[in-house]
Parts: sequence; structure tokens; C-alpha cells
Amino acid sequence: MFAPTRTIARNTFREAVRDRVLYNLVFFALLLIGGAIFLGELSGGQEAKVIVDLGLSATLLFGVFIAIFVGVGLVYKEIERRTLYAILSKPVGRGEFLGGKYLGLCLTLLVNVLVMGAGVSLALAYVAGGRNPLVLHIWPTILLIYLELTVITGVALLFSSFSTPALSALLTFLVFIIGHLSADLKSFAASMGGTATRWFFSGLYYLLPNFSHYSFITPAAHGYVPSFAELIMALLYAGVYVIVLLSAATLIFSRRNFK
Amino acid sequence: MKRNHRLDAALSLLILLGFTAVVCLSRSMDARHQDVFAASEERLYLKGTTAKRLSLAFNGLAADWYWMRSLQYVGGKVVRYEDTHPEQAQLDDLGALDLRLLPSLLRVATTLDPQFMAPYEYAAMILPTFSRDEAISLLHDGIEQNPAAWRLYQHLGYIYWQSHDYAKASETYDAGAKLPGAPRWMAEMSARTAAEGGSRQAAREMYQHLYDESNDDQVKQLLERRLMQVDSFDERDRIRRALQNYAARFGRCAASWREVAGQLQTLQLRLDPVTAAPLDPSGTPYVLTKKGCDVDLDLNSRVPYR
Repeated sequence: MFAPTRTIARNTFREAVRDRVLYNLVFFALLLIGGAIFLGELSGGQEAKVIVDLGLSATLLFGVFIAIFVGVGLVYKEIERRTLYAILSKPVGRGEFLGGKYLGLCLTLLVNVLVMGAGVSLALAYVAGGRNPLVLHIWPTILLIYLELTVITGVALLFSSFSTPALSALLTFLVFIIGHLSADLKSFAASMGGTATRWFFSGLYYLLPNFSHYSFITPAAHGYVPSFAELIMALLYAGVYVIVLLSAATLIFSRRNFK
Repeated sequence: MKRNHRLDAALSLLILLGFTAVVCLSRSMDARHQDVFAASEERLYLKGTTAKRLSLAFNGLAADWYWMRSLQYVGGKVVRYEDTHPEQAQLDDLGALDLRLLPSLLRVATTLDPQFMAPYEYAAMILPTFSRDEAISLLHDGIEQNPAAWRLYQHLGYIYWQSHDYAKASETYDAGAKLPGAPRWMAEMSARTAAEGGSRQAAREMYQHLYDESNDDQVKQLLERRLMQVDSFDERDRIRRALQNYAARFGRCAASWREVAGQLQTLQLRLDPVTAAPLDPSGTPYVLTKKGCDVDLDLNSRVPYR
């Protein structure tokens, strides 16, 4: 039933591998191993915390860069190379094309996040001799990071469906920043005098992705494990948000004239 | 082809020379601007709240950076002090080092990550000698952010105890003892500081519990030295009594440790095998003072004098 989507997803993943997107993993592994050795000297007995903070922050940051810079080029490259015409001349809907591209990049990000998470766990096991409970406790937070990345990929795909790669990258990065400042949007809304302004900021708060639901890196470094309910809610939120983003992207993309 | 090789060699040489020039220029500029760098060291560009907002999801990492910067800041000052002074800087008496930036650095670290316990512990150990109010304020903020963290009460109680405010120290230990998960000795410390706050036993227990709970090697070393100091006070009292007994029996003070070696052995003190001088907890021989009537620490001893 979803054969075209699956094929496009597989090819998108292969393309990302061919484009050496996963090379960053080598850099990341070296960064963590080097960090684990040197930070012990610098952190005053806080090696585990620093490794979790550094490792998970790098996982998020690398993931965001991949989601943005690969995500914004997904559609544009196909148009530029004119391969899109060949694809769309076959029985492949524009929604299926976008869905396939999205899933392919999500698969790339999943490999990235899993390898990076394993790197953090190994570094923790190295500094604590394998006895640190954080080795396992960080994984729910890694899942939340991945969910955040899936939303960012959706945002990048939405912008790239109607804009240039440079502008799409900029707008997606701004959404990432705003998504992490959503608490400020809420307090802005609460502090505004006029009803219209309050509604405007409240609207922005609820409509823009709220990434504070996925920000558990700092608590994770203290051993905090998000509850099952928090994970399920975050999964639902990401799922719904991605459906909205892909629907909007398909809506815009299906109206584009490529003649 | 030959020409290409020549071009490659020329370009490689140019790169090498370029880098050499960059390094030389950079060193020259650093030397010229040393005064500017020295002045800018004493400034923090961001408040904790601003830093937290700007750090997005990376506030934990930013807190780590400020924490490590705090350690580097103190370490750098200690090294500079020891380069220009004959004596070593002691971690619990850093008033002479002018660590004016340290309270702000620790505050930014804890604002970025309020659950980060290491800066609170460091503040309790280091700040009181030159900025007691800042240390108390930081610990109070920490307790506000982490109301269930009994260790913060332990650190705050220690600050009060250090400043001889035994009533407040006892009150703080008592408040911490009531928290879930607090060890039983918190209540015992509360009672001990209330009843005999200035006693050596209270000090020994205070340092021992802090030592057991700490993960910081520097803090552990500091507490180890304080524990040695308390033990040394006890030892010196016992040696003094032995010296007084000797003087009472022979009508003069001991001319050397050998003369009182027998008595010292009965006190279960470790003696130097050559001179029979009793060894302090750091393994350095004590010295006879006041013409053999009194005992004191050797100047080279690791045991703190004050």
C-alpha cells in the first residue's frame, strides 16, 4: 500500500549515507572519547554529569543540523536535478513523495541518535567502570531528543516545500529557537495588557512547537528519568504535530507548478 | 606536470610561512594586550538568568562550562599566588587571592542548572573566608530550588558552624534532618552543635561527614587536612602533658625527644625511628619549642596551622 513511500524513504536514507552525512558520527565519537578522558581532570569529580550534558547536547545539536541542512534540500535538490519530474511521472502522489522523503531523513536521524546515544553510554561506562545507572537512564531522554528531531525535520520539509534552502534553513532554525523559548511566549502573553496582544502571543505559544516538552538533558544528567506518561504525551504531541506539518507541506507542494 | 609540482611546493611553503607568521603575530599581539586581557578577566558578560535564556536546551552544558571555569579561575589564581609567594595557598583560606569573580561564576552555574550540587558544595567550602554572605545567599537559593536536598542544609549548617553561629548551625541541621532520605547523623549533628558547637568532637564529626559525602577531590583533600588538624590538636595536648610530667619529675624540660620517648610510646603515638620525635597525622615530626617545654607543628607539615 505504501510501497512508493517506502521506496523513496529507502533511497533518501541511502542518499544521506552516500552524502557522508553519517561521517559526523566519527567526529562525535572522537569528541566524546577525548572529552571523557580530559573532562575528568577539569570537572572536579563531575565527569558523569559533564559527559551526559555534552553528549546529549551534541546529539541534539548534530541532529538539528542534519534535520535542517539535509531536510531543506530534500525537495529542492529533486527539483534542481529535475529528478522530481521522473518520480512524479510514475504513480507516486506528491504526498507520498514528501512522506517518503520525511521518513528517509527520520531513519537517518534514528541511526545518528542511536549511535550517538551508544557513544554517550560507552563514555559513561568508561568513566564509571560500567556501574553508573546513567548508562541506561539516559535512553528515555534520547528518545525525547529523537522525537524533537522528527518535528524539526517536519518543519524543515514544510518550509522547503515552498521556499529556497537558505531561507528554509533560517526559518527552521528560528522555529527551533522559538520552540525552546516557548515559556517566555507564555509569560509574555500573561503579562500583556491588551486582549488582542495576549491572544496573539497565546496563539503563538500553542501553535508553534513547544520543545520544552523534550528538554530533559539537564535533568537527565542528574539521573532524572522521564515518566512513562511524559514519554507517551511527548510521542503523541510529536505525532500530531508531524501529521499537521506534513499535511501542510503536501497541501502547498501539491499546488506548486513545476512547468 | 613538473610545473604543477613546483606550484604545489610553493603553495605548501606559503602555507607554512603564513602559519608561522600568524603564530608570531598572535604572540606579539597577546604580549601587547596583556593588560587589556587582565582587566577583562575580572568581568562576567552575562547574568545567570540571561545565560539561561540564551542557552536554549543546553543550559546543563552551559552550567558545566561555568563550573569548570570557576575551577580554572581558582586554580589559576592559586598558581599565580604560589609563583609569587613562598607559602602554599590553602583552599579554605583564599582571602588573599582576590577571587572577586568566583561568587558570580558559581551563581551563574547554579542559575543555569539549579540541581547542580557541586557548585553549592564548593561555595560552602571556599566562599565563607572572603564572602560569607554570598555563600549563605547561594545556599539559601539552592534550598529554595531544591527543597528536598538535605545536603544543602549540611553545607549551610557548615557555613554557620564555621562562623561560630552554633544556634543557626543546629537549626539548619535540624531542618535538614527532617527531610526524607536525610541520614540520622544530621539530627545528631544538630544536637551536637547546639550543645558543644566549638568542641573538637563536633568539628571532627562535621569534617568527617562532609568528607564522606563529597565527590570532589579538592574538597576531600581540604577536609582531610582539617581532620588531620583536629587529630593533631588532640595529639599535641597529650604530648604537652607528657612534657609537663617530665619537667615535673626532673626539674627541667626535655632536651630531646629521646628523653621522653618512653612516655610517648605509652600514648600510642607514632615515633620517628631515628630521632624518636612523635609524628603528626601527615607523617612530619613535631618539633620541641620553648626549650623543650612545649610542642608545635613543623613548618613543613601538611597539617594546617590555623
